[in-house]
Amino acid sequence: MKRKGLGFYLRIYVKILAQDIKSKMSYRADFFISTIGMICTNIAGFITFWILFRNFPSISGWNYYEMLFLYGFSLISLTPVQCLFDNNWSLRSYVYSGDFIKYCFRPINLFFYFQSEVFDIKGLGQLAFGIGTLVFAWVKIGLAFTPLMLLKLIVFLITASLIMIALQNAASATCFWIQNSFYILDLAYRFRDFAKYPVTIFSPVFKFIFTFIVPIAFIAYYPSLVILRPDTVPVLSWLSPVIGVVFFWLSYKFWMYGALKYNGTGS
Amino acid sequence: MKLKKYLSLTRAGIIEQLQFRMSMLVIVLGNLLYLTVVYFLWKAIYASSGTDVVNGMTFSDTLIYLVLATALFNFMEMYTVWQMGRSIQSGAIILDLIKPMNPRSYLFWTYSGNFVVNFFSTFLPTFIVVCIVTHGAVPLGTNLAYFVVSVVMAIMINYNIDFFVGTICIYTESIWGINIMKQVIVLLLSGATIPIAFFPEPFKSITMYLPFQSIYNAPLTLLLNGSPEMSDVGRILVTQFAWCVVTLVISRLFWKVSLKRITVNGG
Repeated sequence: MKRKGLGFYLRIYVKILAQDIKSKMSYRADFFISTIGMICTNIAGFITFWILFRNFPSISGWNYYEMLFLYGFSLISLTPVQCLFDNNWSLRSYVYSGDFIKYCFRPINLFFYFQSEVFDIKGLGQLAFGIGTLVFAWVKIGLAFTPLMLLKLIVFLITASLIMIALQNAASATCFWIQNSFYILDLAYRFRDFAKYPVTIFSPVFKFIFTFIVPIAFIAYYPSLVILRPDTVPVLSWLSPVIGVVFFWLSYKFWMYGALKYNGTGS
Repeated sequence: MKLKKYLSLTRAGIIEQLQFRMSMLVIVLGNLLYLTVVYFLWKAIYASSGTDVVNGMTFSDTLIYLVLATALFNFMEMYTVWQMGRSIQSGAIILDLIKPMNPRSYLFWTYSGNFVVNFFSTFLPTFIVVCIVTHGAVPLGTNLAYFVVSVVMAIMINYNIDFFVGTICIYTESIWGINIMKQVIVLLLSGATIPIAFFPEPFKSITMYLPFQSIYNAPLTLLLNGSPEMSDVGRILVTQFAWCVVTLVISRLFWKVSLKRITVNGG
């Protein structure tokens, strides 16, 4: 079989996306309420943050605006996983009911087809919130704004987003082996909340875990150092794009390994 | 023999839960990992504040408060909104309506088995770990009795609010959005994400007049105070009881009115 090119997949993606949005639009009330729910989540997260900093002016040498920068950065880099990979949450019910078999009979990449089926528009609200926070923090800290900085920011944001995608892929793929993977997925989702804190506050053991095993430190902390502390950037920060790509690739292989092992339910 | 039929539902729930031992293990381990992260986070926060007591709460007070709030959350979260929303969407709710039991009680008691399992698998281990880690900062006296009474009422208030929100699904047919809004509001205003003592002033007084603080803040306040004034205990418990009655009446009435509007497709 001939390998399909990138253009082919892009065309298919747009077609599937259009169908998904059409079907979402037939439940307008649900869409509207979900969007408000998402905005509520972001506002509540922000209020928590604000209350915390009213009581404690700095955490481990990071002041309010620097923490705000991390917060905004993590919100943006967590957007792709919300928008593009939301179908991972349904994987376990497809596997459980046997409907997953339908994905196996398409002449395109299994992983791609499964993930492209759902596009979560409400993640865009989070993106807007994140950009707003990041710009505000950027101005308040008084960082310079050059095209090079922007380029760095974009590259690091994209590669940082791969980390959470990788974590979610791996967590959802566990359902190929165990029946109820919801709790693992939920646990991975909860770790996302800790991405916005500098990893230096943890003890060495956890610092190691959050850097190399559950690499949430790469969602915001390490990439942000490149922009916030340009004088003392650790090697890990520069490596973070590589780590993002590697973890994404590993999670893809893991996901596909589980999917190809899938036997169906016999119905 | 009224209680017997309810307790048989509890028993069925326990047996059902014990079928999923693997997910129970994941919950217990995930919970421990989560607690460790919370521990380091707040340790760092207190270390950079320079003082031992912030807003009348020491580090161990805050830790106990937040950790037990999480444990209570795991223990009390019944996914009522999900269940109701799903059965309203699919039409399966009709099966609950024709049972010779009030659907409200039926839903509650089918879940009660999980209370028992969750109490032993998450709440109790967490409580013991916290007692050891904080070197006995949890006073063990009559406050434990107040705490138990308070938690029972908290469960009731939480269920009433959940049931109320679940009923909204009859009108909106949206589950995710409604549920996330409820969760965010309850967790923030009940003091589960950040202790209410840390809230800035007007905000703090407002939360005291809302039912949500009776869910987490009330039992935890009772637990943390080893030698409380009887008047304080009375005030907290009476407030909780009042909210119990109010939320019960409101959610009952709302369900009664909404039931007339229910539409089941096909059936």
